[in-house]
Amino acid sequence: MSDALASPAAALPVPPGRVLARGATVLLVMGLAALPFAVQGSWIYALGITFANAVAVLSVSVLVRYGGEVSIGHGFFAAVGAYTVAIMEQRLGVSLLVSLPVGVALGVVSGIAFAWPSRNISGIYLAVSTMALALALPELINNAASFTGGYQGLYVAEPLVPGLSMSLQRYYVPLAALVLVALALGQFRRSRQGMAMLLVRTHPAAADAFGTPRVWARVAVMGISCGVAALAGCVLAFASSTVSPSGFTLWTSIFFLVGSVVSVYGLSLPRALVGGAFLTLVPQLLSASGAWIPVMYGVALLAVILAGHFLPRLSARIRRQGGTA
Amino acid sequence: MSLASIAPASVTPAGTNPAPALTGQGVALAFGGIKVLQGLDVTFRAGEITGLIGPNGAGKTSLFNCLTGAYRPTGGTIHYGTAPLDGLSPAERARKGIVRSFQTVALCPDLTVAENVMMGLARDYRAGWASAFLPLARGRRERAAMMDGAMAALTTLGLERTASAYPGALPPGTQRLVEIARAIAGKPSVLLLDEPAAGLNTAETRELTRALRRLAAPDLVMVVVEHDMDLVMSICDRITVLNFGTIVASGAPDAIRRDPDVQRIYLGTEDD
Repeated sequence: MSDALASPAAALPVPPGRVLARGATVLLVMGLAALPFAVQGSWIYALGITFANAVAVLSVSVLVRYGGEVSIGHGFFAAVGAYTVAIMEQRLGVSLLVSLPVGVALGVVSGIAFAWPSRNISGIYLAVSTMALALALPELINNAASFTGGYQGLYVAEPLVPGLSMSLQRYYVPLAALVLVALALGQFRRSRQGMAMLLVRTHPAAADAFGTPRVWARVAVMGISCGVAALAGCVLAFASSTVSPSGFTLWTSIFFLVGSVVSVYGLSLPRALVGGAFLTLVPQLLSASGAWIPVMYGVALLAVILAGHFLPRLSARIRRQGGTA
Repeated sequence: MSLASIAPASVTPAGTNPAPALTGQGVALAFGGIKVLQGLDVTFRAGEITGLIGPNGAGKTSLFNCLTGAYRPTGGTIHYGTAPLDGLSPAERARKGIVRSFQTVALCPDLTVAENVMMGLARDYRAGWASAFLPLARGRRERAAMMDGAMAALTTLGLERTASAYPGALPPGTQRLVEIARAIAGKPSVLLLDEPAAGLNTAETRELTRALRRLAAPDLVMVVVEHDMDLVMSICDRITVLNFGTIVASGAPDAIRRDPDVQRIYLGTEDD
């Protein structure tokens, strides 16, 4: 170990609450890893989609947390990843192992390509700009039918690990992606770049004055966020075994944002899972409600948002009362 | 950690080239028809603490903003030593060691105190994107080195115990000291402090006064905008007085104190 790593300043104590949270997350991941041995069939499929959607939720939350901006067009960048996987499999016969890095790279590049001309707009104007991407996407896909399969879409059937059951792969690959993205984002929070982006978000002039240009931060955060969205699209294509324009409508982007709001823009694995589950499992659980599904979904959304808002305050109040008792 | 570790990086050997000064010639700034700065000629020398005083609206912070690149002057030139700074962005000037603190506290509430101070060092580090996302040794070394630098700056101001706290949990005066720690952490060559004592209580101001005196170094250009005249008079080697965007007086504290124009427009005459 180097002297720098051994210095006492480098090792400030980790708060006990954070240690507990890490332990709980490890237990959660272990539980999820063991789940396919306890449940089967459609639940395994639905959970695989949940994990992929959780990654998409993280992509929006990254933009909110580090950029202070909202996107209602991240379905576009997820589609970039998803179609990269499908087209590369169709045309080149390669598996996710090859197409995923390409899809993520294309997501980053397209995010930067979008961010540069829009670098000086923010708030509702940026959100509406991203919405334009989501609105244009289905038509773009349909007009490139020779590549994208048009309305019918494309199948994704190439296994990542030959010999292993595809249903298990469609569960474990998105789970692994979710875990790795959450770990990478945890690492990013501690990095110089991550801290600089947080400073730019809250005090751009101060960040500028200490050597971090705000334009760099805007472009970089879009690149990261869109790269994560493309990764989500890659694993979503793999988990669902098909890609088609109906999977990447404006509603897809809106639901990614809803998932991010439900997770309180959290960048941890449990928070992202809550968002992903809300996009995937809640509609499935409400499927028996018939025509009332949208109403029930709205009520559930309201309940989760209110719980996310009030539960921390409630628990803090209980802690305070417990402390004074 | 000793104070020497946060003194300016390059110490000029005695008898060689003098340390560079920050100079402005004919610096002018206007917003529409309002002339905020009217062709100022200023020289801030290394090794000195210069106080910049004047009534509200005199143009002190506007001059700071021109010096740091936040504002583009409508006239004049600014040099650090012989190097022109005109056209350089604030970030580029920061990379040349020209840093500042802000009139209102500009700390990030999502970063701990130590992490906020680490941002004062960020311009000196280059670990790439791979280190940002993966637990690579280079990234860990970078964070550890930045943390050491931040702790040194915090220790200088007696703030080491606040390192793990978030700014929102600290009193306003302490937050301001943290901001000064961030400014000094990166071994600046030019340090511009905009009302550093605003919001500090008497004890904190006393501690700040001691810290600023200790920070003065042969290669450091330090300029302080401040309304606390006791602080200004006690730490500054020279004082420049602004009013309506022009220089009213410039000189040693005693001379400024006796200057009738200064007494009239800023300090107040005995008759007041």
